[in-house]
Amino acid sequence: MPQGDYIELHRKRYGYRPDHFERKRKKEARLVHKRSEIAQKALGIKGKMFAKKRYAEKALMKKTLAMHEESSTRHKVDDDVHEGAVPTYLLDRDNTTRAKTLSNSIKQKRKERAGRWEVPLPKVRPVAEDEMFKVLRTGKRKTKQWKRMITKATFVGPGFTRKPPKYERFIRPSGLRFTKAHVTHPELKCTFNLEIIGVKKNPNGQMYTSLGVLTKGTIIEVNVSELGLVTPNGKVVWGKYAQVTNNPENDGCVNAVLLV
Amino acid sequence: MVQYNFKKMTVVPCGKDFIDIILSRTQRQTPTVVHKGYAINRLRQFYMRKVKYTQTNFHEKLSTIIDEFPRLDDIHPFYGDLLHVLYNKDHYKLALGQINTARNLVSKIAKDYVKLLKYGDSLYRCKSLKVAALGRMCTVIKRIGPSLAYLEQIRQHMARLPSIDPNTRTILICGYPNVGKSSFINKITRADVDVQPYAFTTKSLFVGHTDYKYLRYQVIDTPGILDRPFEDRNIIEMCSITALAHLRAAVLFFLDISGSCGYSIAQQAALFHSIKSLFMNKPLIIVCNKTDLQPLEGISEEDMKLVTEMKAEAMKTVIGQGGEATNDDGVLLTMSTLTEEGVISVKNAACERLLNQRVELKMKSKKINDCLNRFHVAMPKPRDQKERPPCIPHAVLEAKAKQAAEKKKRTTEKDLENENGGAGVYSASLKKNYILANDEWKEDIMPEILDGHNVFDFVDPDILNRLEELDREEGYTQAEETDDFEMDGMELTPEEQKALAEIRQKKSLLIQQHRIKKSTAESRPTVPRKFDKDREFTSKRMGRQLSALGIDPAMAINRARSRSVSRRGRKRERSLDKGDTDGAGVVDMDVDTPKKKLHVMSRPHSRSRSRPPTDVVPGEGFKDSSQKSKALDKARKSVKNRNKNARRGEADRVIPNLKPKHLFSGKRSNGKTQRR
Repeated sequence: MPQGDYIELHRKRYGYRPDHFERKRKKEARLVHKRSEIAQKALGIKGKMFAKKRYAEKALMKKTLAMHEESSTRHKVDDDVHEGAVPTYLLDRDNTTRAKTLSNSIKQKRKERAGRWEVPLPKVRPVAEDEMFKVLRTGKRKTKQWKRMITKATFVGPGFTRKPPKYERFIRPSGLRFTKAHVTHPELKCTFNLEIIGVKKNPNGQMYTSLGVLTKGTIIEVNVSELGLVTPNGKVVWGKYAQVTNNPENDGCVNAVLLV
Repeated sequence: MVQYNFKKMTVVPCGKDFIDIILSRTQRQTPTVVHKGYAINRLRQFYMRKVKYTQTNFHEKLSTIIDEFPRLDDIHPFYGDLLHVLYNKDHYKLALGQINTARNLVSKIAKDYVKLLKYGDSLYRCKSLKVAALGRMCTVIKRIGPSLAYLEQIRQHMARLPSIDPNTRTILICGYPNVGKSSFINKITRADVDVQPYAFTTKSLFVGHTDYKYLRYQVIDTPGILDRPFEDRNIIEMCSITALAHLRAAVLFFLDISGSCGYSIAQQAALFHSIKSLFMNKPLIIVCNKTDLQPLEGISEEDMKLVTEMKAEAMKTVIGQGGEATNDDGVLLTMSTLTEEGVISVKNAACERLLNQRVELKMKSKKINDCLNRFHVAMPKPRDQKERPPCIPHAVLEAKAKQAAEKKKRTTEKDLENENGGAGVYSASLKKNYILANDEWKEDIMPEILDGHNVFDFVDPDILNRLEELDREEGYTQAEETDDFEMDGMELTPEEQKALAEIRQKKSLLIQQHRIKKSTAESRPTVPRKFDKDREFTSKRMGRQLSALGIDPAMAINRARSRSVSRRGRKRERSLDKGDTDGAGVVDMDVDTPKKKLHVMSRPHSRSRSRPPTDVVPGEGFKDSSQKSKALDKARKSVKNRNKNARRGEADRVIPNLKPKHLFSGKRSNGKTQRR
């Protein structure tokens, strides 16, 4: 049976086929044509994937080519005109520039109007009530329609107990409850899986805040003790705010960005 | 019994390919069409199926990988150790552990997302959930990419390991590098191990098989071991140490007494003493190799002492097995792989020692008693002290001896060839055994072609007999003729005899001709005289025959010529039947009729056969030559054979429509073109 490095041994003893190198060279030369044939003929999802791969390769190739081509040559230098430099026949005139100057007060007022927080997602799409709630018919004849089931992701605290089923108006299904969020630190650019402490504010309304609904743009408070942040006083920071950046009900997870 | 064949492991795909395979399989094997207006349950089910299918496939493929790679603790310790030496047990276990966690993660992801999909209330939401699920699963696999690559490399290396059965009869060869271990194994088995003058040519274990006493033995060639402390040993040496440590085998310790390997006997003895602990309970044989360069007796005193020390050690193992203390032949052996002396005896000694040891062990074990109780070898008791050797009759012995001698006596052609210079020089004479009437004809050259004919077509072995027969026939006819020369009792004069002979000859000729004609008349239709194409019946011939009879042929010839076909058209001529007055010369004829363009017959008889075929001859019915030529053409063409070969003819020419418009129009550029 072939054992050890039998391929190399065979090569050492008997050498290559007489036409081995020729065939290899020709096969490699033919690869180019074959690739182009595939690129032209592939249809459907295969074609798309191939085109994407090929595009990435081409971009890379172009970059390396450009890199190889750049050489230290001398170009003619255009003298930059300085700001405010003026030709001789205009030397005696005063140049006035117009600019919009905003007074400080106006800036302050604008900020107040915008809200206290500067958040990454200032505006979000409003969520309609029929999108948020699903009507559940109850009762013996299924005629009562006062119960609602929330169709979006929610957060309920660890000590949450349901109201007695007969009286609860809003049902938060357990399959849609999330406890953890993927929080990105905007400066460090890395993501952590942190526990949610609570929902601070939902932009769609105060009712949703109290229900604990997590939609895009919701401000949540997360437990950052594993980041090891410390206040200048020396106290350990263990809770920070973050804003939800995706639609959790579509993605199955809560992605948020930390508000520093 | 587990077969240690690692060639059957499936290929471990790399991370990217793995993902591609699974995702494309999902796309192909699950239904692909879904619309917004379907019932929500149907939409949910559609996407849940995809998620579950992908998870199942991942699970299956990862499970095969985990199951096929051997668990180092479950296999024979030899292989466990060997794999540890080669691949590092920790890394190996880590990699497999990562695959396992990936498998569990993928299952968890699928479970979570299937739960979430139950709350999907729109196509978009279900679709995004499915995309998220598949994406997360693929990320998990992408993360274990390096582990997959590592496992693939291990698998490739494992497939090339020799399949050694750790439980069967094994002979292990060890020693310093370059002492001749690989040459030895090449000699006794069919393993083709590379033999080179540099050290560490053999970098891993090699296995070969050999037979002894109808049993198969494994022979394992190890890489050379250097004399170093245990911790400093590299991977290659550790392979041989592992083999020594775990396999129950007969050990052949090779010693190079000529020193041509580059290490002295002292160094080799030092190595021996440092690894002698590994030789516990194994039949050990010390083999002195390369005796063609340096015989064992010729080494120096100190070296001899070292060798005897080693021999003493080896003897201990013999004693330990309960063998005879005095049998020291099987402990120290000499051989030379170059001249092949002693090789077989070394192999036999090793196999014998191993076999004895194994048999002993088996006899000592408890299991053997179950077998021993079940069979009994019966030896017949001798009746008396008389010796009864086998009895062969004298005649048979003689016959056998004679046969043997005869076999040698006859010189074969092959022997002759070898004597006279070999295959290219000597060419055997194929004619020397010919059977001919006269032996001198053997070397004659036989002609093959004569006058354009094959001689062999005319060769007839009975030709002499036939000749005799013919002669006999002729003799009869002659006898008849001589008898018939006496007509009615009268004797004829010689002139008369001559005339009679002539007449008879002519008659016989005629009869022969007639017979020939008659014989061919059945197969061929006879052509009547007026159509003779061979031009036998010419007027010249008639003239000759008449003159032979003694008659002047001139008039007859003229008459014949006047009746010839070529003169049929001459209407205005005076017929020449009545007289022979104007044989030659033609009475003036009206030759200038403008309508009938008759050919001027100035010399009828000499031109009777030289008219061109397009000539219109009076009596044929044509208006003029051109009409005749047209008629001839038509006649010629009508006789053309029909082409019955079913091949395309001129009438079958078709002009195809290579670019039908309906196949080349439309918005689609690619794709099937049977319809647009």
